[in-house]
Amino acid sequence: MSSEPIERRVSYIGDRLRGSQCGICGKEYFRGKNYCGTCGRKSFGKMKNIDFFYEQGSLEVSTLVSQPTNRFVKMGYYFYGIVSFHEGNSRVPGRLTDILIDNEKSDISCFDGKNVVPRFRRRYAVGESDIIPTISLAFTLADGYYPYQKYEVYKPKKEYETPGIVGYGVYTSKFRIKEGNMERSVPFIDEDAVTASVEAGKLALIHSGVDRTLVGKVYVGSESNPYSVNPIASKVAQVLKLGKEEKTDGIQSVDAIDTEFACKAATSMFKDAASLVFYPKINTSFAMTIGADNSQAAPRNELGGELDRFVGFGGSSFIFGLHDVIAEIEGWYSCTSDTPDFWRRDMQAYPRHGGRFTGEPAYFKHVIKSCKALMEQLDIKVVDVDYFVPHQPNLSFPIKVAKQLGFKEDQYLPSLKVGKFGNAYSGSSPIGLAAVLDNANPDERILLVSYGSGAGSDAYSFLTTSQILEKKSRQKFTVQHQIENENLTYVDYHTYRRLKHGL
Amino acid sequence: MKSINPVILGVGRTKFGEHYERDPESLIEEAGLQALDSAGITRKDLNACYLSDYFLQVTNKIGLEEGFFSELLELHVPMEKTRSFSSALLNACHAVQSGKYEFVLVGGMEKMTDRWDKIRDDLMLLEDPWSYYAGCTPEANHELLLKGYIKKYKINGEQLEQLYTALAQISVKNHKNAIENPLAQYKSAITVDAVLKARSSVCKSLGLFDFAPISDGASALVLASPSVVKNCSCTPVSVLGSSSATDYITFPARKERTGFMASSLAMKTALKQAEVDLTDIQIAEFYDQSTLLEMLSLEDLGFCVRGTAWLDVYNSCENYRGFYEINGKRLYVNLNGGLKADGNPLGATGGAQIFEVVKQLRGEAENRQVKVEGEAPNLGCVSELEGFGTKAYIHILGRAKD
Repeated sequence: MSSEPIERRVSYIGDRLRGSQCGICGKEYFRGKNYCGTCGRKSFGKMKNIDFFYEQGSLEVSTLVSQPTNRFVKMGYYFYGIVSFHEGNSRVPGRLTDILIDNEKSDISCFDGKNVVPRFRRRYAVGESDIIPTISLAFTLADGYYPYQKYEVYKPKKEYETPGIVGYGVYTSKFRIKEGNMERSVPFIDEDAVTASVEAGKLALIHSGVDRTLVGKVYVGSESNPYSVNPIASKVAQVLKLGKEEKTDGIQSVDAIDTEFACKAATSMFKDAASLVFYPKINTSFAMTIGADNSQAAPRNELGGELDRFVGFGGSSFIFGLHDVIAEIEGWYSCTSDTPDFWRRDMQAYPRHGGRFTGEPAYFKHVIKSCKALMEQLDIKVVDVDYFVPHQPNLSFPIKVAKQLGFKEDQYLPSLKVGKFGNAYSGSSPIGLAAVLDNANPDERILLVSYGSGAGSDAYSFLTTSQILEKKSRQKFTVQHQIENENLTYVDYHTYRRLKHGL
Repeated sequence: MKSINPVILGVGRTKFGEHYERDPESLIEEAGLQALDSAGITRKDLNACYLSDYFLQVTNKIGLEEGFFSELLELHVPMEKTRSFSSALLNACHAVQSGKYEFVLVGGMEKMTDRWDKIRDDLMLLEDPWSYYAGCTPEANHELLLKGYIKKYKINGEQLEQLYTALAQISVKNHKNAIENPLAQYKSAITVDAVLKARSSVCKSLGLFDFAPISDGASALVLASPSVVKNCSCTPVSVLGSSSATDYITFPARKERTGFMASSLAMKTALKQAEVDLTDIQIAEFYDQSTLLEMLSLEDLGFCVRGTAWLDVYNSCENYRGFYEINGKRLYVNLNGGLKADGNPLGATGGAQIFEVVKQLRGEAENRQVKVEGEAPNLGCVSELEGFGTKAYIHILGRAKD
């Protein structure tokens, strides 16, 4: 059983890898310290807070763990070692994650000396009703799938009259399952919707160059939060240190909220985020929206198991603001009806769906309605749209709806990523939007139309600005990078189910 | 000011191993009675008791061991509980040296097999929690220590093979020694090949035969003030030096990661206190939680130059004659079979180490008795660790002079 006060203290330090540094001699410590062990009494009040969250470390020595302690058994084999930061000024213990190990082939020294990046992950397995422990003492290789990236704050250059996207990030895991013409993203065993949300948020901060303390609100849309009660957003706010931090009590000056509406839980909040930053005399310069899911599906032979061929894993994050906007929001339209085409009851592990009922009367009806209504509202035609980004529950629906609306391949194919990542539920259409933004030029119009079962659809029109180009170099972890990566690991169905089920 | 040297009057211990049918109380009772008998005193002579165990709270839901001891002994004298046997002995020495007590019973016990499936998790209580959170295991740090050592001293090629062989030879040697120890957990000979095979089967530098086992057992001794010893009939052994030192619990944060600083510091203090030279020590019991720790103890305690112990071990073990030959001097190590073969019931382990040295110094070690120039040895040392080099205890024992 985990004890809640311990979890608060451990995750407060461990999720962010907080430490301190002596202002006199420069010695660093993992974990906070009020004085320096070397400088003693005179260092009181001269210790600086530091953290290693965005740092790159070096794996000094490591060993294969093939007989883990009980809580780690589900991880399988893994590497454990000592990671040093800042040329050995501080050292922490660490586990290498994102590696599926075949014991017989493991070289026990192959990772020593490699550069590694801290990753926010689940710590170990606990009971089903316990607090889920997390930590960032999990590391991946800096030259691997997930590249090392610095987080730098850029001073805003330009203020816009219309709010829009100032930065974004997409996170999908290193693992894939390939079946037929579809590849799908599979979480590692220590990942879930919470870890994906934090990763996506982190990547959006890196891309936007926004000062994290100016983010006044964070929305997290997900339908696979591992908790029924306890927000993902609070974890995101704490780990990413959004808003100003009250150092005395470890509280962030930020509003954080989880939303749920099947696959449109995140896109629905785009307009709220944009409106919020537009509100006068309130110092919410930026608002972050995250859509992340470890998309749930029953095993194939069970009720609702058809979804098991389409579900993916991933998260997206968009930061909205008025400064250095890369895509202004031109307009939006949302619609809703009580159409129960896909649902998951409380206490149930997997969702159910209405089979053919999820098509015409649900997905197509709502997507077409909101798309047409928005185009009418903005007085634009299909030819005025450069990119069309629909919700992507499978390969056929988005193509069919795009054709029905009159869009051509060059308009909808750039956003069609379900064949590479699977349906990331709340992250689905936002990942498509990110894929388009990765390659878009200034002054292009992007039409995003999400869909959420239950049912509703949000249509947005974005107009890219000239600043989209200058921010491109800040993000190495693009959608394309995640699709075409030599480090991707493909797993079989059995492994996919095991990893997806998690700790 | 030279302090008085407390005297060990009697020692006792149980067989180490799997005692599924016995409670920890019955194990300590057996060891304690043996110690009292061999000291030639009765329970009523005792002024105090110092007990040691690591995990009885967890393994047996016993959280106030002293109370159980009071019931066993029908005694109501002061009792204190510490973690390791050496720690209990150190505290007992301080009390006797201060003149407060004349007769003290020191006892240690552990019942690890009562929690077979969870004991490795329990062992992580001896590491810092952050290492545990990051996935550390009781064995992982030994591997890191070894890899750090190899890296620091740039050992490769043939030398590296010799180092690995030397570590295997330590295990073989300890198993060999245990054959003559009727109380040892494992009394079977093993081969270097078997040790190497156990490593290669798990792709590790250290394997099953490199690590001490999980054990149950108890040990005890009677410590007395030298002023009362004249009345006793046994051959007394003096505690000439008794010391400890402490290092960070977080292994990655330590300055020294290719050995244990705490061991070096404790040894220096103990030698100074005992007023003996390191080279005078003839027999030693090291804390070989792994074969690596026996090798590194040779360096930490000053017997070998840093970075070279493996070569001394390798050269000594090629044609093993029962001792390590270091700079032309003989050093007998882990004559009882060490933790590896004698067993490692944590809280009782140090007692077994002391037991062996006392038996050897008295010339009562039967088939495994060592002779130095035809006589029983007269100076031995015991090194015990708590955690992964977090605490180190050194006791230097000598045959009391008439």
